[in-house]
Amino acid sequence: MAAVKINELHKCDLPWIIEYDESKCIQCGKCTAACSFNAIKPAVVERKKSNSIFEKNKCEKVLIIKQNISLDNYCTGCGMCANVCPNDAIKAVRNKDDKYSVAYRAKKADSLKKGGRSNLNTEGRTLDKIKIGRISQMTDPSLDATRHTFEIKTPFGRVLSADKLNFEVKNGKVTPTATLPPNSWIYPVIFGDMSIGAVSWRMWEAMAIATAYLNEVMGIPIRMCTGEGGIPTSLLKSRYVKYMILQIASGHFGWNRIIEAMPDMTDDPAGILIKIGQGAKPGDGGLLMASKVARYVQEIRGVPKADLLSPPTHQGLYSIEESVQKMFLSMNAAFKFRVPVAIKVAASATSVSVYNNLLRDPYNIVGGFFLDGLAGGTGAAHEISLNHTGHPITSKLRDCYLAAVHQGRQGEIPLFAGGGLGQTGSFAADVFKLICLGANGVFCGRTILEIAGCIGNDIGKCNSCNTGKCPAGIATQDKCLVSRLDVDTVAQNLVNYILATDFELKKLMAPVGCSTLPIGRSDALITVDKHISNRLEIQYAC
Amino acid sequence: MKVCKIKAYSDSERMSTQALFQLIYEKVQEGFCDFEIDACGQHDIACALWAKKKNKKLNFKIKNPGQRVGAMALNNTKIVVEGSATSDVGWLNSGAEIVVLGNAGDTASHCAASGKIYIGGSVGTRSGALMKYDPKFSAPEFWVLKNAGSFSFEFMGGGIGVICGYDCDSLKSVLGNRSCVGMVGGVIYARGNIEGLASCVCIKKLEKEDKDFLLNGLKKFLKEINKEKILKELTQFNDWKKIVPIDSKEKKKNIPVSEFRKNNWFREGIFGDLVDDTADVYALAQSGAARLRKPVWDSKNCVKCDICLNNCPQKAIVKDEKTLSYCAADEKCIGCAICAAVCPKQVWQMKKK
Repeated sequence: MAAVKINELHKCDLPWIIEYDESKCIQCGKCTAACSFNAIKPAVVERKKSNSIFEKNKCEKVLIIKQNISLDNYCTGCGMCANVCPNDAIKAVRNKDDKYSVAYRAKKADSLKKGGRSNLNTEGRTLDKIKIGRISQMTDPSLDATRHTFEIKTPFGRVLSADKLNFEVKNGKVTPTATLPPNSWIYPVIFGDMSIGAVSWRMWEAMAIATAYLNEVMGIPIRMCTGEGGIPTSLLKSRYVKYMILQIASGHFGWNRIIEAMPDMTDDPAGILIKIGQGAKPGDGGLLMASKVARYVQEIRGVPKADLLSPPTHQGLYSIEESVQKMFLSMNAAFKFRVPVAIKVAASATSVSVYNNLLRDPYNIVGGFFLDGLAGGTGAAHEISLNHTGHPITSKLRDCYLAAVHQGRQGEIPLFAGGGLGQTGSFAADVFKLICLGANGVFCGRTILEIAGCIGNDIGKCNSCNTGKCPAGIATQDKCLVSRLDVDTVAQNLVNYILATDFELKKLMAPVGCSTLPIGRSDALITVDKHISNRLEIQYAC
Repeated sequence: MKVCKIKAYSDSERMSTQALFQLIYEKVQEGFCDFEIDACGQHDIACALWAKKKNKKLNFKIKNPGQRVGAMALNNTKIVVEGSATSDVGWLNSGAEIVVLGNAGDTASHCAASGKIYIGGSVGTRSGALMKYDPKFSAPEFWVLKNAGSFSFEFMGGGIGVICGYDCDSLKSVLGNRSCVGMVGGVIYARGNIEGLASCVCIKKLEKEDKDFLLNGLKKFLKEINKEKILKELTQFNDWKKIVPIDSKEKKKNIPVSEFRKNNWFREGIFGDLVDDTADVYALAQSGAARLRKPVWDSKNCVKCDICLNNCPQKAIVKDEKTLSYCAADEKCIGCAICAAVCPKQVWQMKKK
């Protein structure tokens, strides 16, 4: 047996320890076959046959399951071994005393990378400390969530203030005297924005199918943001493109194929989203690890198999004014000024300045402001960014909304908020509270992945989207793993979840007495936290 | 006995509702059954009254009533409002016959449980809401010559509503918008355009008994509101529709997403030209193409001990007796690596697929 030395990696240093019960194991091999991380292996070990001192040297060799002690192939706690074991013989148990993050840096001289979520969560969740406290009773009639009809729609696109709307009466009809900025009414939840590459082709297609189904069968005008990793040409040329918000980020990946498809497109896309930053890792550009750059991803993106690091900024943009001129003007021009163009930034101490600047946009071409909070997810990030950079979404959304209110310009550039929504299992409540605080709608990624089967959580389980070994077939391009994902089931679950959310939104709108979205109705909210009350300007209650 | 005439106001003063009622109570106790009330907006006139002698009928002729005329009125009460009435006519009607010759305001016939309400004009929003039917009494009827405002017949639980749509051809919907939300029982007959009905109801054709009911009912209704001349116009039954709640068994289920994908989505999927995908869904531990890793045998150090073969849980390892070579059968092997672990000579290597 090899000598164990102190400066080696040991089982106790790893974040998860495999608990294995030899007496229950039937050695079917399913756990090792299922483990995408190659974190466990069958092994032959020696066992004493008897404890008798006279038979001391009589040993036998037995087959057991062992944990790999490795910085690369280590257990992430995904739980697939326990899921496949017919006999409850194996499971991963969290190791509170792990030293993995120290060992990784000490051995590799490299920063630790993670996918999924931040696992630090020191800031707590503001949204959970807010309740819907203004219930219509004698003041105004509340509604019946089950039987009344509700209009759960929000504007997407630049909304002009009344004094800028010029109309004349032509042939007895009210007609605008100048072209109005494009605007459409959409569902206040946007799927997105996860790229082809960050998620598997099956996952991406399931989202697209669910989007189409919700629009065409259920009449729910939900939109999906494509992320920046290209869009299949067949989809671009179909009518379903009208439910898609095309994203352009600093890598401009896949845009040549979009441009080439334009002459054959029968419908306009729902919008364009210019991604400047991402809440999970503000200041960083996109990151797609080489293990996920499959052949088709290489083709769509026009790159070889390599780590793909998008620049942290759009090259050529050095100021807000410049970004308005270049990105907004060009993206508006691309679809002949018929499609709303919005921008997504990471929530930051500076977000309000950006929003104020955009509100002054003289061309009326800023169609939406997407703010992404620090609890958002990501396909891959350096752990240092994921855990230590960013800004919570709630107060920043509120700041932007109130900045507009103080100028009397709320609603002119619709606000969309995202980042960690549904984190504690109450997605509809999060959506509703953000809307009351001033959001026109929300966008969500991680909840969608969890609906699809992602087994990660915010306390260190899995979060391996960066490795390409996603055991659920969601954040991987490995054909064996992707094939674990059932497109129909994922799409059905997404549809079901949105239908449930839709009803739950009604269950919150009804007692407040709103049959339309209560955007900015912060009087509907109370909080039992004095600091939150002061900061968000909502009623304190105790 | 003579008619009791009450003028509920003077030049300088309006009688309070309470004072008016005290007077009516006194007169009823004196044995009066017929009242003519020249009102001044007093509410709840004829509310919950009965004659001193059992089975005698109370008759009210009312001008200019306030809200809730005929509210909670009982069987053996007949009320005729000369002109229009404001909101809540016949609220919780419990058997009275109430005639309004003009229009009625919002929530007419709200919660009516029996009796008949006849309106000679239009009614406002939420009219007919929550009407109900208690089988111990006759079903409530609510007849309207013209149209109803939005949210009509909301949460209706029973009874019969008849909206005649007379002189309403220009309207998009004689039931207003969002009619019948939450309707679970009863029936509505409507003549003219209908739009914006709730999804919980359906429109049916009139059967013979529906037509008979309408014919008899219309005769009586039109007589009450002095419009007998238009009977012929209103009895063109092709103009009528019948609205009933959808039986919960009949409620259609949404098609599964898988069906939508088969019928409406791209045949080969949107990635058909980009990736080679068989669309199979793999189990976590499965043989063949689903394996994450597969064992490869190398003859160099093999001592042909058969330990691998004997330990393979899937019985996937095949030994060629002629060449004395081994291989793992793709259709059985799940890639568990037990062969590699048990081999004393490290002959099996696990290769990533």
